[in-house]
Amino acid sequence: MNAVDRYSCEEVFRRLNDYLDRELSPAEMALVQEHLDTCAQCAGEHAFEASVLRELKAKLRRIDVPQSLIAKIDAILSDPGHREEE
Amino acid sequence: MLAVPDWTGSLRLLAPLVALAFTRPSRTEHPTPTPLDDVLTPLLARAYGLALRLLRNRADAEDLVQEAALAACRGFGTFQRGTNFKAWFFRILTNCYYARHRRQRHEGPPVDLHETPELYLYSRTAEIGLHQNAADPAQALLDRLDGEQIATALQGLPEEYRVVSTLYLVEDFSYQQIGAILDIPVGTVRSRLHRGRRILQKLLWRLALERGVVPEAAKEPG
Ligand SMILES: [Zn+2]
Repeated sequence: MNAVDRYSCEEVFRRLNDYLDRELSPAEMALVQEHLDTCAQCAGEHAFEASVLRELKAKLRRIDVPQSLIAKIDAILSDPGHREEE
Repeated sequence: MLAVPDWTGSLRLLAPLVALAFTRPSRTEHPTPTPLDDVLTPLLARAYGLALRLLRNRADAEDLVQEAALAACRGFGTFQRGTNFKAWFFRILTNCYYARHRRQRHEGPPVDLHETPELYLYSRTAEIGLHQNAADPAQALLDRLDGEQIATALQGLPEEYRVVSTLYLVEDFSYQQIGAILDIPVGTVRSRLHRGRRILQKLLWRLALERGVVPEAAKEPG
């Protein structure tokens, strides 16, 4: 197997954040994925980082919108005086 | 009376740039005009969520969303139909945020930016044995912190990391979209996000120690 065809642990580690955010090219995504399928150490680190991001996003997104804000925005949107530019 | 900055001038200038980043390439049909209510109302929860995570205060967050909605009303004529309204509106929201709150300093202990290694939480949770005891050690740690506590840790990030990280965590924007919203290059978004992520892990661990949700013996190295 040609070295260019596979990523080392070091090469995967350098791309881990971009891989987590799906910001690599399709070819690079596939090379990282291939390494993670066969390397338990890198797969463990990836799973941990992915779980951190998943948990942070879920908890930060749990918010109830106050009714008072909905009423205020309704008032703004239904006032034709706010739409000079249209 | 709420003081509302006039965004329409700058929005008109920036519209082509934002349109470039958000236009869906497959869209070929002529877009029909969209009433602002139809596109803005479904975004209120997300907009308020971002505002609350940036400001940490419900009254300020409501004011910010209200101000952004007013600016969106005034500038809606510059919105290019068929482009991403959510990104357009979030750009207005972050502009309003910067205009009002840029001078406010974040509070909390100073963070050592240079000494945060990769995989910080991975290493710390391994040291306290969570990797042996939990199938998902990251979840096992973060389950012990609630959304407010996590928002507190996020608040501790220096401003340039905090806004990028908050946009990333509360919305599913790409690096390119965050760059267009904040008017910074994609490479800057990437480096701030990655570095902010490392610092945030350190802040989360500090918080976990302070709140006693991890054993006192698990001291930070250095
Ligand atoms: Zn590996």
